[in-house]
Amino acid sequence: MLTCEPMGNWPFYFRFLPIKLQQIRCFYKRWLQCIAYMALYWAFLYPVQVVAQQRGMLSGNLEANGNFFIRDTLIGAGNTPQYDYQLYGADAWLNLVYACSGDFEAAVRFDLFQNSNLLNPTGSYTDQGIGRWYLRKQIGKLDLTGGYIYDQIGSGIVFRAYEERPLAIDNALYGLRLAYQLSPNWQIRAFTGRQKQQFDAYASSIRAMAIDGFWTSDSSSLTLVPGIGMVSRTIDDASVNLLTAELATYEEADRFVPHYNTYAVSLYNTLTAGPVVWYVEGAWKSADVMFDPFAPRITSNGDTLVGKYYSADGAVIYSSFSYAQGKLGLTIEGKYTEHFEFRTRPQESANRGLINYLPPMTRVNTYRLTARYNAATQFLGEYAWQADFRYAHSRKLQFNFNISNLTTLEQELLYRELVAEMTYKYKRQWQLIAGIQRQQYNQEVYEVKPGVPLVQTITPYFDFLYKLSRRKAIRVEGQYMATQQDYGSWAFALLEWTWAPHWAFTISDMYNVQPQKTFDAAGNPLPIHYPRIDVYYTQGPNRFSISYVKQVEGVVCSGGICRLEPAFSGVKVTVNSSF
Amino acid sequence: MKSSYCLFVWYFAVLVCCVLASCSEIPPVIPESNETTPSDDLTNQQRQVLIEEFTGVRCVNCPAGSAFIQDLLSLHGERLVAVSIHAGEFSHPYNDSQYNFQTPQGDQILNYVGQPFGYPSAVINRKLFNGEAILQLGKGSWAGYIEQEKAHPPVVKIGITPSWQANARTLTANITVLVEETVSDEDIRLTVLLTEDGIVDVQLTPKGKDPDYVHRHVFRTTLTPALGESLGNVLVVGSELNRSYTYQLPNGWNEANCYLVAFVHRAGASKEVLQAHEVALIE
Repeated sequence: MLTCEPMGNWPFYFRFLPIKLQQIRCFYKRWLQCIAYMALYWAFLYPVQVVAQQRGMLSGNLEANGNFFIRDTLIGAGNTPQYDYQLYGADAWLNLVYACSGDFEAAVRFDLFQNSNLLNPTGSYTDQGIGRWYLRKQIGKLDLTGGYIYDQIGSGIVFRAYEERPLAIDNALYGLRLAYQLSPNWQIRAFTGRQKQQFDAYASSIRAMAIDGFWTSDSSSLTLVPGIGMVSRTIDDASVNLLTAELATYEEADRFVPHYNTYAVSLYNTLTAGPVVWYVEGAWKSADVMFDPFAPRITSNGDTLVGKYYSADGAVIYSSFSYAQGKLGLTIEGKYTEHFEFRTRPQESANRGLINYLPPMTRVNTYRLTARYNAATQFLGEYAWQADFRYAHSRKLQFNFNISNLTTLEQELLYRELVAEMTYKYKRQWQLIAGIQRQQYNQEVYEVKPGVPLVQTITPYFDFLYKLSRRKAIRVEGQYMATQQDYGSWAFALLEWTWAPHWAFTISDMYNVQPQKTFDAAGNPLPIHYPRIDVYYTQGPNRFSISYVKQVEGVVCSGGICRLEPAFSGVKVTVNSSF
Repeated sequence: MKSSYCLFVWYFAVLVCCVLASCSEIPPVIPESNETTPSDDLTNQQRQVLIEEFTGVRCVNCPAGSAFIQDLLSLHGERLVAVSIHAGEFSHPYNDSQYNFQTPQGDQILNYVGQPFGYPSAVINRKLFNGEAILQLGKGSWAGYIEQEKAHPPVVKIGITPSWQANARTLTANITVLVEETVSDEDIRLTVLLTEDGIVDVQLTPKGKDPDYVHRHVFRTTLTPALGESLGNVLVVGSELNRSYTYQLPNGWNEANCYLVAFVHRAGASKEVLQAHEVALIE
């Protein structure tokens, strides 16, 4: 039987209803509430929304990070301007988008960097200004955009303009983009411009076209999403002059005549048939100048130098096959890469000036120690494959196995990872994730540290979540990385207390159990703690956090693109908001 | 289905035609080295380029950079002036190092020109070249920018006359700056520094620690303040400025391998070096 609250708790407008209505039993109460809300909506809110649509809508978001640096030379947090005398740094992005009638959009983003080490982990960068703007207008079947454009062709193997803030990547194309709807299922895109470089743009020009289609069988059980894209880049005169001057110092055997223009083409298709999804992409790039940091060359003095420019055609073949039905899920991926570094100019290195993006072939690890060693995508040459198997024994118990293997074209091991993980859920009361990871990581190649051994790790881990009530939960993480290489073995523990919807607190410690890089004055190994305390407060769309952090140096990756993250000691403050 | 693929092929053909149109190009020409030996005569002095390499005994990749600088020196001769500054994260000496090449002045210079993205790294004429984000340059860019800088005639010329008093281990450097073109800036400075060549000490190399590594052009100290001594904000064409500096060499520094380096540079928003010159302390 339905129960009913006293009339005094009903919405205020019910008070103005006739007495008889007040006597309506609670069966009708919810219906009445619904009708009343709908009437209010149609009477007041709908007209406001219509006017707003006609006038346009402003939305946006803010991401702001503040760092207060506390020097700690013991962990390597020192000898940079931030620790030595600046003591403070900040990065912020304020994005505003104005959309009107669905066919016009204008956006502007204010970027700010103060004593920032995002661009250069050991340097300090200060600047601010308009980091992005664009205007977009739909005119019939034609969609045109001018300004800083993010876009990609296929999976990005020949072209991807994107932003990845933690890695200081903002490869927006500063130019013009046109897209035309040839038919309901076919679209052609063309864009041209120069790649963004902080608050300026590189001088090299980039142009590209792509055609994307969609086809489905009559029964809709089979769909094809084919596409083809072509990209061309012309290196600017100054960069070519730099390059030729460099090549003039090369001996005859290493010398070559570079091209101003490089062309890349990519053909791709996604096939979906019932539980099967199969993506395949093949790409080719004409002769392009690349820098191989490991290639030797003999100087005119007879010295052997490591690292030289070379020119070669490139190719990538990438495929991903996934099957998901019932309790089973299987994904197999493979990638062959040969000479496929594509930059806006050959002098750029690391994450700077990249025109393309190669999909990574490794698992995305999220725990502190399992994510300590990451495989950066090798643009010059790589054989890579990955298999991921998921089995749900029941709604309570699930298993995941993942294996990935990456080698050079000469079969030298770059990275190998094996992960076995199980998840057990008990009545929405508690959840346990437990697993073990085995890694082999070629630090010599990934971190350009000649002579260092292959890092081999075994890392068991668990993550236990216990819900005390609907709003309160406690979570405990524990990991142990056993390794004889690099820094030596680590232990990590984390305790998290969540009090929804506003508060979250975490306290964690990473401990170098068997240190191999830190020593006391007497030369004995010195174990170091890397504690961290975080407080998060969420209020609607606003999120604030303050953290005390001691962090060991490491490599941070996203999508196979990596960046050296220097050791950090200090306080971090963040504000995130969307509106 | 068939019509869709016909359409796709047709679009593809159009795409290829559009993007590959005019794909043949006239290739760039690789310049031949046309090195000329500079004259000791100040009047005929040519543009000399300063390369400040930032290195460290723990920097495993830095020997490759140093070897490349030697290669560049053999190409450009005296028109390239090299200084290797041991500063930054890889410069702490080992326990078995005989010398500490780190200097407060070197740290000051590194902070002044900014930290590199990675090593090996060098600053050429302290100039922010078009298209570069910072002054520090990876070795793939050195040769090109040196060539580019050499092409400009010098706006000032620098003469260095050293004298050495062996008993007191004291050197005197008389510097003459001859102004060829009027230069004005917020601040124009002269820096005089001392390097020592051929020091044998430990260095990390790709093959491990090498105790017999020969360190070249090691920055030892500045005779002026680390960031230079002001010459004013305008240098008028035809002017001749003379400065004199003395310095007592610490024991252990081999005067026979020491070199005096002087350079005139801007010290405002631009830090560009206008001219550099190097002479041996003892001819």
